[in-house]
Amino acid sequence: MVYITSWDEFVERTVQLFRADPESTRYCMKYRHWDGKLVLKVTDNKECLKFKTDQAQDAKKMEKLNNIFFTLMMEAQPAKKGRGRKQ
Amino acid sequence: MVLLQPDPFLNELTSMFERSTETGSVWVTLKRSSLKSKVQRNKLKTAQQPIEYRCLIRATNGKKTISTSVGAKDHQRFQASYATILKAHMTALKKRERKDRKKAAEDKKESGSKKPKRA
Repeated sequence: MVYITSWDEFVERTVQLFRADPESTRYCMKYRHWDGKLVLKVTDNKECLKFKTDQAQDAKKMEKLNNIFFTLMMEAQPAKKGRGRKQ
Repeated sequence: MVLLQPDPFLNELTSMFERSTETGSVWVTLKRSSLKSKVQRNKLKTAQQPIEYRCLIRATNGKKTISTSVGAKDHQRFQASYATILKAHMTALKKRERKDRKKAAEDKKESGSKKPKRA
């Protein structure tokens, strides 16, 4: 279980992971209110990347990451670099 | 496992967050799926038809699990509502600590030369 400390590195590696294997990659989130903790996990059943935080600013970054993942999952085929493929 | 439509799912998710403020966690998982078996997928591939992917979203509080499947048409709307729900409930996380860290650093420096101001 790899905990990544840098947010940007987490985003980059998880997107790479997803692009490599979109069929088996999943993105999990665990939130504990009374603990004030948020943990994100992205795994393709071979490799696992995690990120944990207790900062409110990371919740905003996580929302952006959610959008990225939603968009990626809707693509019929994994596109090359260039997430801005608007229709 | 309860499979719901996107809108009732969002309502259930909201109540799940509200119920677990004192104890417990909320897990949410996102995964892409075409909701078809391998045989059907291979058939579509050979027939050169595009496979339509949906996004499977599952949420649980440890006791109860709810799920929904979102297609390309409703995903924008779902994304917006989902983000709103998260923002509204993730209030227990700490705010930016940079100000406090700066203050602590300054206090440390000052305490070397003089005592920090105390009301």
